[in-house]
Amino acid sequence: MTETKLTARNVDVWYGPKKAIDDVSIDIDNGIVTAFIGPSGCGKSTFLRSLNRMNDTIVGARVTGQILLDGEDIYASSMDPVALRARVGMVFQKPNPFPKSIYENIAYGPRIHGLASSKAEMDGIIERSLTKAGLWDEVKDRLAEPGTALSGGQQQRLCIARAIAVDPEVILMDEPCSALDPIATAKIEELIDELKDNYAIVIVTHSMQQAARVSQRTAFFHLGNLVEYGETDQIFTNPREEKTKDYITGRYG
Amino acid sequence: MSNHNWNSPEAAKRIAQRHASERRFKLLGLGAIALSLSFLALLLFIMLRNGLGGLDWAFLSGSDSTNASVAGIWGAAKGSLLTMLVTLLLSFPMGVLSAIYLEEFAPRSRWIEWVEVSINNLAAVPSIIFGLLGLAVFINTLHLPRSSPLVGGLTLALMTFPVIVISGRNAIKAVPPSIRDAALAVGASKVQAVFHHVLPLALPGILTGTIIGMARALGETAPLLMIGMRAFIVTPPGGITDPSSVLPMQIFLWSDEIDKAFVQNTSAAIIVLLVFLLLMNGIAIYLRNKFEVRW
Repeated sequence: MTETKLTARNVDVWYGPKKAIDDVSIDIDNGIVTAFIGPSGCGKSTFLRSLNRMNDTIVGARVTGQILLDGEDIYASSMDPVALRARVGMVFQKPNPFPKSIYENIAYGPRIHGLASSKAEMDGIIERSLTKAGLWDEVKDRLAEPGTALSGGQQQRLCIARAIAVDPEVILMDEPCSALDPIATAKIEELIDELKDNYAIVIVTHSMQQAARVSQRTAFFHLGNLVEYGETDQIFTNPREEKTKDYITGRYG
Repeated sequence: MSNHNWNSPEAAKRIAQRHASERRFKLLGLGAIALSLSFLALLLFIMLRNGLGGLDWAFLSGSDSTNASVAGIWGAAKGSLLTMLVTLLLSFPMGVLSAIYLEEFAPRSRWIEWVEVSINNLAAVPSIIFGLLGLAVFINTLHLPRSSPLVGGLTLALMTFPVIVISGRNAIKAVPPSIRDAALAVGASKVQAVFHHVLPLALPGILTGTIIGMARALGETAPLLMIGMRAFIVTPPGGITDPSSVLPMQIFLWSDEIDKAFVQNTSAAIIVLLVFLLLMNGIAIYLRNKFEVRW
């Protein structure tokens, strides 16, 4: 049932005169988790942020090549970055709930996109999103409390619920567990596994164990290049490239 | 491992020296605070002693007069209120919009850098120059009524504007970028991210800066001299186009009187001005606490 959701062809990303991503081509499939691994500064987060045009907000950032979402060029002038980001959601490294109530955190996206026409409909979106993010039972009695009062792991699941609420097709996660303890991390990983059937999920991670646990495909980046891309099992047990082997065996990085 | 002897007399002496320098610093800091506050206390004491006797209802509700026992402060106070109103209505929206544009939307270009330097310079221009500018533009060119709170407010708005821009930009800059990312990532446009999320978080800082700027404008005398707000006016202004005086100007005029009886009036007027300023600072603190979002 896998179908290609995102296609990148010969993508370069520049920060001013500095080239951060060099000629990356990759197909990302629906219904599975794709992990980006690699040492710090290898460009994996940069590449992730170019998939929903979050790089547009960085002064001097420039993307060349082609990135297609369902065959549509996301950098074409006909593509509105606002509509794109509703279709390609993002979860960040540090949980960043709005300093508002739990309810308002999730209601914000659907409201600006006009996804709910009544309070009852909005309540439904809130409950579904929180349920999918595995947070409903913990917060259903205190939706009016500030989202920032939750624990770190709960905050991150709130951010995932917030991303889900606008009904995206792709969810990008930029090291979503790096600020969390192992128990909260396990919960998020479990959640990623449950969500993958309905979305294309791309996760950037520093932890190779995490990539091995949650992903079906893994891409190894090094110095702005995509070194190797393949089934996660194959990458971790039988890498084709010498550099990949060195990295996953801990020889550098 | 370490072979330093922490029990040696030299080590004990060093530690004692460090504690002594810490105590010295604390004393110095306390001394600096006490020195400046003692001047405030002295000012308050003298003003209260000289002026409290003159603070009665007749003084608070009357207007200027050549007779010291009849002269009151209401004309000047109302002039100050109207002037501040004009200043606030102009400089606040202009300042906040400029700060938002410069901080969130302006492209990094040579031209924008030039704009930023100009605004910083504007904040440092002596106030008398603004008075000359107001005289030349608002009165001589636009023919707005001389001595009026309208022209006074316009002139002071020019002065307050850069203060609001600078404090507004700092407040906006202090909002963590992760909040902008969060809004953009659910599909908010740049304007939505700014007005729904950044601005509410920056508001306490912007309001504090605004009130500091307004308090400064309230005490300004020099620019208002240039636009004729030093005239002798016996009726309180009915609107922003009527001739009027302002509190600091009234203090200046009375302190210049030869008649000894005006000394009490001057002190009483200073008390009124100080109460005004305290009130504004109080409002600033209240607004900051009300809108402060903790997270």
